[in-house]
Amino acid sequence: MNDTPLLGPAPAFKARIRLFLLRLKEAIPTPLLVAVAYFVGAEAAFLIGRLSDMSFAPFWPPNVVLFCALLLAPERRWWIYLVAAFPAHVLAELQVGMPTAHLLVAFSTNCSVAVLNAAALRKILGDLPWAVTLRTASYYILVTAVVSPAICAFGGAFGPILGGSPIENYFLCWGQWYLSNALGSLTLGPLFLTMFSDSPRSSSVAPPRRQAEAVILGVALAIVCATAFQFSNRTIALGFIPALLYSPLPLILWSTVRFGEKGASAAILIVAIVLLWRTLNSSSVFVAGNPEANVLALQMFLVGLAIPVLLLGASIDEVRHAEQSTSENEERMGLAAASANIGLWHYDPATERFWATGHCRSMFGLAPHVGLTHFTLINAIHPEDRQVAIEAMKAAANSEQPTVSEFRTISADGQTRWIRARAYSHFGDRGVPVRLSGILVDITDYKTAEAEAELQRREVAHLMRVSVLGELSGAIAHELNQPLTAILSNAQAALLVLAQTPADLAEVKEALEEIEMEDTRAGEVIHRLRDLLGKGKSTFAAIQFNDLIESTLQLLRCELIGRQIRVSMNLGDHLPPTYGDAVQLQQVVLNLVMNAMDAMSATPVSRRAITVSTRVTETGRIEATVADRGPGVSSEVRAKVFQPFFTTKDHGLGLGLSICLNIVKSHGGEINLDSNGEGGATARVILPTPEVDDG
Amino acid sequence: MTMPAFTIFVVDDDTAVLKALTRLLRVNGLSIQTFSSPLEFLLRHDPSVPGCAILDLSMPGLDGLKLQQELATQHAELPVIFITGKGDISTGIRAMKAGAVDFLTKPVRDSELLAAIEQARERVVKITEARAQLDSIKARLARLTPREHEVLALVVAGRLNKQIASELGTVEKTIKVHRGRMMKKMGVRAVADLVRMAEKANIRPQD
Repeated sequence: MNDTPLLGPAPAFKARIRLFLLRLKEAIPTPLLVAVAYFVGAEAAFLIGRLSDMSFAPFWPPNVVLFCALLLAPERRWWIYLVAAFPAHVLAELQVGMPTAHLLVAFSTNCSVAVLNAAALRKILGDLPWAVTLRTASYYILVTAVVSPAICAFGGAFGPILGGSPIENYFLCWGQWYLSNALGSLTLGPLFLTMFSDSPRSSSVAPPRRQAEAVILGVALAIVCATAFQFSNRTIALGFIPALLYSPLPLILWSTVRFGEKGASAAILIVAIVLLWRTLNSSSVFVAGNPEANVLALQMFLVGLAIPVLLLGASIDEVRHAEQSTSENEERMGLAAASANIGLWHYDPATERFWATGHCRSMFGLAPHVGLTHFTLINAIHPEDRQVAIEAMKAAANSEQPTVSEFRTISADGQTRWIRARAYSHFGDRGVPVRLSGILVDITDYKTAEAEAELQRREVAHLMRVSVLGELSGAIAHELNQPLTAILSNAQAALLVLAQTPADLAEVKEALEEIEMEDTRAGEVIHRLRDLLGKGKSTFAAIQFNDLIESTLQLLRCELIGRQIRVSMNLGDHLPPTYGDAVQLQQVVLNLVMNAMDAMSATPVSRRAITVSTRVTETGRIEATVADRGPGVSSEVRAKVFQPFFTTKDHGLGLGLSICLNIVKSHGGEINLDSNGEGGATARVILPTPEVDDG
Repeated sequence: MTMPAFTIFVVDDDTAVLKALTRLLRVNGLSIQTFSSPLEFLLRHDPSVPGCAILDLSMPGLDGLKLQQELATQHAELPVIFITGKGDISTGIRAMKAGAVDFLTKPVRDSELLAAIEQARERVVKITEARAQLDSIKARLARLTPREHEVLALVVAGRLNKQIASELGTVEKTIKVHRGRMMKKMGVRAVADLVRMAEKANIRPQD
């Protein structure tokens, strides 16, 4: 039997075997395949060598074949495998001239050890495939190399007795049977199981160097074993036995460390085969005098060697698997975070080292080769936002609360991104931050959308102003016509006076003064209109709210007269200034008064009145109210009145109050609408004042 | 008899406009009275003064059209000229139907305004003349005896003396005497003149 394919079969070769086995499986029923393997295993054992009494092979693969087959097969089909193995057993044993009784006992104990192994492992570890861990390896060894063969050996030991061996040899036979089965389970079993439970993915990626390494290791191990035993006869006398015994150990450990459980079992199998073969062919390190005793010593040596090596292999597999799954998890987490536009990072203050996912780098516009340092990171932040980001990180380092900051980054090609960073500290035992970690979220899209929404809000507000002024166009024309009329009349009067002799220059002067005054007045009207019609950026400035109301009502004066509505103003004294956008706040007042006017279209003329009041609230804020004598607001209207597109008017768009709400909110104020004692509605706007709200 | 001068009553709630219009009309030699609200005008102006009113169409309290109606009930002969900052056609038509002299939009030119005032003055003259005429007819009618009244009504209705006599239960000769006396008192010779006079005095022909 060649050893190399067992150690680390080349993938191509393995794949070919797999394909061949698959084809064979399709062509021949599995039980038949198992029967053949059983027979081949027996023949191999016979080839390696038999003990002198011919009862046992010191290494018995058929039981392992059967046990592995049972592990792979569903339990209700086990009997088929056992039945199929029987002819193979008979055929193999008849070759060596085994008596019938002995043959039957041997078969039944072979079956029982296979069934016991398979059943116990299934019970403990569940169905295949098992993850190779220290736990599974321990259970495997406990069941297949300790408990199960020990029990079955009590039956197996009867074989040689029935074959004619003296009864005194019962316990020797028990030991031989036990060790031959344990050795098979420890060498062949793990190899079979790791091969068959291999997922196709892991077996197909071994690079050529690794394959070469496996082959070299196998060959070297075989040579070392063979050579060590070749020289043994000469060196035993010199007391070198331990050295010779341990000579394969470095290679076994190498194989185990490099190839895990698979390497461990393959190495042990090679050592077992070579050593057994050499020992049975009369060159052994063990010098008990007869080959049986030598073999027994060798078996015990091999079992003793196999158990720790297999456990080591399992541990290595477990660690490697854990490492792999950790890195897979990390990769998966990174991927998930990146697809959610989140970057993950942490920072170790002791080493001043940053770790970050690739997405963090792309957010900072850093190339993969650029090192993550304070300098590169801070340099990538927009100069205006650097202080914000640094402060936030400092705050996070000094607090148990996470901090959130928003800043911009600029990549090398000048692209700006908005980043929201969340950072928190992990504190060590002594209350010192040991690690700062957090996430980065790319909020550029959100910021862009926000800016666009703001722009749209302004556009809508502007359109509404234009449309309100459109409604008021007649009234505004009148407002403008008044000064123009005065100017024209004064001018014509002055001209006429100048044409008279003597001209009354005092009259002319008076007329001109009035022209000047009225021109100013017309200019004011136009100025107000231009502000309201303008689309200018919102500018915050100190505003005297009373002036704003008076100016707005001036604009509405003619419309109010036209609709025969009386207006009374009840403006509070000593109103503190408020900060805001005068045009926007004027739009609010305009909207509220227009609403009040519209609400009273069905009110009898004698009752039509609007009261506009301002006062300072108890909390020092400014409160402005517009009260009408319309039908008031019902509770269901009140609930919806600030929603966009809600209207009670026949031709209303339903945007006026929703725009008012937007404007007032953006000024940090409140707005509400309620019924009043007069039966009408009162709109109330409350605005902050810098003294109160900033102090 | 001394007639008070033809006076322009200017009503506008906008002080500047009121002052300017006043100046313009004053330097054009017109006599003016100003009122800053419709109510003030209604309460304070003297209806016996001949003149015309210049009203701003939109004023708080009482708008121009309402004021026009109010004036029509109190003081029918006062012609009204509207001036407005936001002239729309329907308001204009309503104002003209209600008897406004003119409907001018602000800013108003002096020529337009003076022309409208001239028109109003003519209307006032006509109204005054018509009233004087009616007064003299009424004075003559007052001198007629009841019998002469009856005869007048039947003559205006186009009856012959014989028919009148039979209707009134008397003889034709007596009717001729009554009729002659009635024509003389009324100061007319032809029946046609009498009919025109009766129409002006709103005397319905008796059937």
